[in-house]
Amino acid sequence: MSALLEVSGVSVSFDGFRAIDNLSFSIGPAELRAVIGPNGAGKTTFMDIITGKTRPDAGEVLWGEYSRSLLKMNEAQIARAGIGRKFQRPTVFEDQSVADNLTMALRANRNPFSVLGWRASPSSDQRVTELAAEVGLAEQVNRKAGELSHGQKQWLEIGMLLAQEPRLLLVDEPAAGMTLAEREQTTTLLRRLAETHAVVVVEHDMDFVRRLNCKVTVLHQGSVLAEGSLDHVTRNPQVIEVYLGR
Amino acid sequence: MTSSLRAQSLIALALMLLVSALPAQANPELEALIATNMDQIERPSRRTVGPLIKQIAATGPEGKAMLAAWTDRRLGLTDDGRVVIVAGDDMADAATGEAVAGADPKMLRPNSGVRGLIDSALVAGQISDPDRKIRVQALDSIARSGSEEHLAALRNAPPDPDPALQARKERLETLLTIQYDGDPQARIAALKEMSGDVGLDFRAVLNPLLATRRVAATEAPGDANIARELKPGSDELSRDAAYELLKSQELAQPRLTLAAQRDILIANIADGRVGGIPVTDLGDPQARDRAYEALEAAGTVTPAATEAEAQEAIDRHRYYEIYAEPNPDVTEAAKSAQTRAQVRLAAMKGIDLGLDALSFASIYFLAAIGLAVTFGVMRVINMAHGEFIMMGAYTGYVVQTLIPDRTLSLIVALPAAFAVTFAAGVALERLVIRHLAKRPLETLLATFGVSIALQQIAKNVFGTQARPLTAPEWLEGAITFNDVISISTIRAAIFVLALLFLGLFLFIMKRTRLGLEVRAVTQNPGMAASMGINPDRIAMLTFGLGSGIAGIAGVAIGLFAKVTSELGQDYIVQSFMTVVVGGVGNIWGTLAGAGLIGALSKIIESLNPSNTLAAQTFMILFIIIFIQFRPRGIIPQKGRAAEA
Amino acid sequence: MTRKPFILRNPSVLLMLAVLAVFTAAVTLMSQAYGSGAVPTSMVKVLGKTLCLALAAVAMDLVWGYIGILSLGQMAFFALGGYMIGQWLMYARTEAIVAASLAQAPIPPTPLELQEATASQIFGVVGSSDLPMVWSFAHSLPLQLLLVVAVPGLLALVFGWLAFRSRVNGVYLSILTQAMTLALALWLFQNDSGFRGNNGLSGLQNIPGLDGVSQARLSIWFLWASAAALGLGYVLIAWLVGGKFGSVIRAIRDDETRVRFLGYPVEGFKLVVFTLAAMITAVAGALYYPQAGIINPAELAPIASIYLAVWVAIGGRGRLYGAVIGAVFVSLLSSWFTGGRAPDLALPGYVVKWVDWWQVALGLSFVLVTLFAPRGIAGFFDLFTRRKESGS
Repeated sequence: MSALLEVSGVSVSFDGFRAIDNLSFSIGPAELRAVIGPNGAGKTTFMDIITGKTRPDAGEVLWGEYSRSLLKMNEAQIARAGIGRKFQRPTVFEDQSVADNLTMALRANRNPFSVLGWRASPSSDQRVTELAAEVGLAEQVNRKAGELSHGQKQWLEIGMLLAQEPRLLLVDEPAAGMTLAEREQTTTLLRRLAETHAVVVVEHDMDFVRRLNCKVTVLHQGSVLAEGSLDHVTRNPQVIEVYLGR
Repeated sequence: MTSSLRAQSLIALALMLLVSALPAQANPELEALIATNMDQIERPSRRTVGPLIKQIAATGPEGKAMLAAWTDRRLGLTDDGRVVIVAGDDMADAATGEAVAGADPKMLRPNSGVRGLIDSALVAGQISDPDRKIRVQALDSIARSGSEEHLAALRNAPPDPDPALQARKERLETLLTIQYDGDPQARIAALKEMSGDVGLDFRAVLNPLLATRRVAATEAPGDANIARELKPGSDELSRDAAYELLKSQELAQPRLTLAAQRDILIANIADGRVGGIPVTDLGDPQARDRAYEALEAAGTVTPAATEAEAQEAIDRHRYYEIYAEPNPDVTEAAKSAQTRAQVRLAAMKGIDLGLDALSFASIYFLAAIGLAVTFGVMRVINMAHGEFIMMGAYTGYVVQTLIPDRTLSLIVALPAAFAVTFAAGVALERLVIRHLAKRPLETLLATFGVSIALQQIAKNVFGTQARPLTAPEWLEGAITFNDVISISTIRAAIFVLALLFLGLFLFIMKRTRLGLEVRAVTQNPGMAASMGINPDRIAMLTFGLGSGIAGIAGVAIGLFAKVTSELGQDYIVQSFMTVVVGGVGNIWGTLAGAGLIGALSKIIESLNPSNTLAAQTFMILFIIIFIQFRPRGIIPQKGRAAEA
Repeated sequence: MTRKPFILRNPSVLLMLAVLAVFTAAVTLMSQAYGSGAVPTSMVKVLGKTLCLALAAVAMDLVWGYIGILSLGQMAFFALGGYMIGQWLMYARTEAIVAASLAQAPIPPTPLELQEATASQIFGVVGSSDLPMVWSFAHSLPLQLLLVVAVPGLLALVFGWLAFRSRVNGVYLSILTQAMTLALALWLFQNDSGFRGNNGLSGLQNIPGLDGVSQARLSIWFLWASAAALGLGYVLIAWLVGGKFGSVIRAIRDDETRVRFLGYPVEGFKLVVFTLAAMITAVAGALYYPQAGIINPAELAPIASIYLAVWVAIGGRGRLYGAVIGAVFVSLLSSWFTGGRAPDLALPGYVVKWVDWWQVALGLSFVLVTLFAPRGIAGFFDLFTRRKESGS
């Protein structure tokens, strides 16, 4: 199985501080991966590099069957190439309705003139209804996103991520602010998605990671400290030191 | 112009003093000279009067007094044949010094040639006069209008005891040698000696030497000192200009212009037709040509030079630039001297430009620093910043009306302006900006509202006409290094003021508790607040500080610009540009921005001095393009905070 | 989710068109040319100009209220539109006058003579008699009409491309647009820029070929044209912001980074909106200046563009009818107060002359609106409709 995303030897510094140090990482087209690490390990910067928000000083990020370099693309091009991102803090467009938010995320031509000519069709309406139902917001489609609860916003953002139909999903702390039942639901969703998609979950909550039951990558000081099953990495003395030693 | 007039009257005054200081004494020698040369005195001829003048000068002070009066047209001839010097209502006999009353003298009006001779004779005496003042005046007079006679006088004069005057005398002698010496070798030597000098006097001497005129001829003029040959159709000599030259030398006929053709056609209208073509058809240029040709064929009009003939005439001739100075060696030496002078001049102009740019930069720095501080710390653009500058300037004006002593009023005005605008800034921050936190665009518009209100209030209170803010005397004038490099004292003082503020600002930011807290709030407001720093207080003080500096900048600007209600508007855009170009949140960025904008505006202005509007347009265009390459300014704010 | 036609989904658009139609009809019926004469011709011109300003405000609302670019350069496009149409108006009219006077000459003029005489008539005031390059198309109405949208559109396209691709935004972008306006104004101020320096273009109220039509009639025609342009522009922009495009640009206003991560080329959207708004603004300007009669570089002063922003803010951003209300309300109020017709306000110890103090009041009221009514006048409508909703 060839890798969908291949990050190799990437480094980036801010004002002399090495946020990412010679990091390498790869994920297959249908795989669930959890990325864990203490605060400041470089988890968010890692995502920023993949999505084009931050340009690395060195290294290579290759994508897809044809191994296209993501470093030459901007954020929008990377997103159109099939990488979707869910942010840590839910960022939905609060001024607009749930349906509008989902419609905007629907897979379609993103060119301004195409958008101008885009018309809602029965199939698009149906897709929005489906997505809303899938994330439990069927009742709320016409409400403004700003009026939703924190958990509902999380779900809306997951819905938007699904609407984009990406091949790789980068999910930053999906379980934050969710009830136990919702966590269960999220776990199920993510595992189901991973059957056909590549999914990277960044998470603090070890309990949640354990439920995902997937390969784990431990980041520390901007590089990979350990990789393997959760049991495997938690037995690693270095990992124990990083998590408990201070 | 005025200075030479003043100098002339000074000489006249000095001579008069000299005359009146001496006791009136009879001078038999002079009396005799006058008696024998009455005709020459009454109707002097330039060619023959020279010896007489020398003789009169040699008779002593009375003779010189008479010559001075003569050239000043204060010498009169009485009916009984006496020569009198007229001073206001009084008259005195030139030879005896006796007062003359009741006479109605005929005033003598020697022509300029004669007066030149008299002046030279006087100057020759004056340059060896024991009184230093008179020697200085004599040299001034020669420098102003030197002549061949002066050259001889300078050469014959004994060395001056004052080294400075001796040096000046030698310089004048060299300059006059270049102009008037009969021996080309002496002139070339003098030119070589002066080569590379950038003094205005030397350049004034070189210009006529290198002056050229253009001539057209079929072959090279053998006897003339040719500067160069010009090709028709080149940048120096367009084909039209070449034809004009041919016309002026009557080597070619005037071409038929469209206007001339039209006039001739009108003059030849007969029965509604010209040359057989109906008048109503003559709106067509080709019909006009046909009509004219018909007239030519009929012999009604003289054939004018056709385009082809004109072009042929242009090509048949050659065109030369010819020096007025006949000796090629002299012009060669002058040319090399001029080239060296031009190189040095360009370097000096560069330095002068640099000084100007520095003074511009200081002003922009003072105007922009407050803006940069508030933008860096609080992320808001204060559109009323320009009005704070204006308030500072008006504060200076008000203080000056209360305290007449200008130095004292300036000393009071600077802190007063700071206090006034500091208070205004704090009020603006507390009343408006604080309530618009995190809404920078709204802040921009709200402060714009404040800006138009303040501007109109200033108009209502102080009126629309400009108010003076006069600099103290010790700030007037300029610091001059030589003919090229100089800077006005006010601008130098503003430069010093800007340096002071840079120092003060660095001190506050790096060495005081306030600076530490400001830096903390800039980098991470949340963290700073959790450490017990009150961001509100810091914001208020920063805003006050930034506005206070704007007030001081206002006083500084008011000293050389007019104080009007629109004063702020003139500087606000440049201040914005300084901040944008320099980058925010860093005083060195502001400094670099001010330096760049200052240098740029001077350079563009010097490339195109006639058009300051175009200069400003280009400058703004440059900045828009600059932003493409450094969107965050020369010295950007660093780190992850900057990306938020 | 049933889809109704666009107009029916936006009752406010219908309402606006109805109000506009009623207003235009009422003014026509009260005009000197076509009605009772209750509204003098000068007032008709003021109203026509106000409609043009309202159109410019609607376009401003598109760039500021919807996509979040506080452009302080809209009046540059407005004035450019005016200059472009002014070139034809002035050239064609001067040419007609010159042709009439040359017709008295013994022989008829050649086309070159006619052009030279016209040029020296137009540019004598700036000491020139040559027709500048930029006037190459001035003889042709269709070409100049094309330039009305092409020149401002191109300027907006180039400037926007440069600014957006380097991700200049927020206050930086505002300052940069202001600098662009200033640069253009300074350039036009020069005598040798070819636009008659600070004299500007004048006599624009006289339409070539319509010499027989009285100003009273012309003013009504222009009122109709302005109303039609406002109506069309309003519907176009309402349609634009009503669909998915509107959804995307509002999202860009609120969080452009997030929109990028959704895969939308944010710069492209900004460029389309900025350029389109510039063209609409230019059309408004092209209708405004023939009613004003004169245009000069002072019209591009940065302050004029800021006023436009002020109107939109007072009317209410992000609502097109808010922009119209703001422009009409504030510009009419301004001309009433500064026109010297408003009665002085006698305070104890001081008489407030509105000619002097209106500007102060406007500035301060603007601060107050930003502070206490960020949604502007339209915000009050919201209060009203929301109360109705919660009541039902």
